[in-house]
Amino acid sequence: MNGFRVTPDGAISTELEPVEAALLTQLASQVAGLIGEPTSSDVPDPALLRLLPDAYPGDAEASAEFRRFTAEGLAERKVRNAQTMIVDVADAVTADAQTEVQLTVESVQSWLRTLTDIRLVLATRLGILDDADARAADGEADDDEADDDDIDSEADQKLMLADVYEWLGWVQESLVSAIDR
Amino acid sequence: MQPTIAGSTETVLDVDAIAAMDAPWVTIVWNDPVNLMSYVSWVFRSYFGFSREEADRRMLQVHNDGRAMVASGSREEMERHVEAMHDLGLWATLEKSEL
Repeated sequence: MNGFRVTPDGAISTELEPVEAALLTQLASQVAGLIGEPTSSDVPDPALLRLLPDAYPGDAEASAEFRRFTAEGLAERKVRNAQTMIVDVADAVTADAQTEVQLTVESVQSWLRTLTDIRLVLATRLGILDDADARAADGEADDDEADDDDIDSEADQKLMLADVYEWLGWVQESLVSAIDR
Repeated sequence: MQPTIAGSTETVLDVDAIAAMDAPWVTIVWNDPVNLMSYVSWVFRSYFGFSREEADRRMLQVHNDGRAMVASGSREEMERHVEAMHDLGLWATLEKSEL
């Protein structure tokens, strides 16, 4: 991927490799699945809590009432945004080579929100709770000492997740930059 | 004080200060380790209509102080802002103003 640019017509455009498009599809699907499926567990997923945080710190009742009124709408919009991204990259997933993806004005808004939601979920999985954690994750992403003999180890999975997380940060930075004129 | 320009937040803040006497609630945006500074600044500009300078100032306040007040007014208005911030992936809360 080369980053987002503005075409002569004023559209926001980029090229995606099939594997990049497939990754975005997978991540967007995971976010949609996380938000869309009501959990049977009593313990809320911390990622879900970050996507739909309490509005009244220290006031559980007011927070619950706010959540009662807003969670469904928020969730619906987040799922729709994720689905927009999936639709937008669908052609790029099945192509043989890098494919141009042009975003409508509406898609740009969806992508900005879905990229954020994906990164919030990944950060939770990576245990990124504060700025120090974020810097540490950055360091991990730059670490090339993955063990090739044991690709499925938890450490390697975390490494790959950190790489993906860093890449998504770059993608979002690129998109904000392209629309920020 | 810088001279005001049309649509600047200085005008907005004056109105909010007066409104706060009747409807003293504020929206707070909190720092989080995920959101890009450029994204937060863009959110402040596109949603609240802050100038680039004001948006950057508040974004840096979030980044450096851990939180920043981004709006004040009635409780209902603040709830709408919080919902919008959650839409955009920012961490926001509302509370009674200390004014």
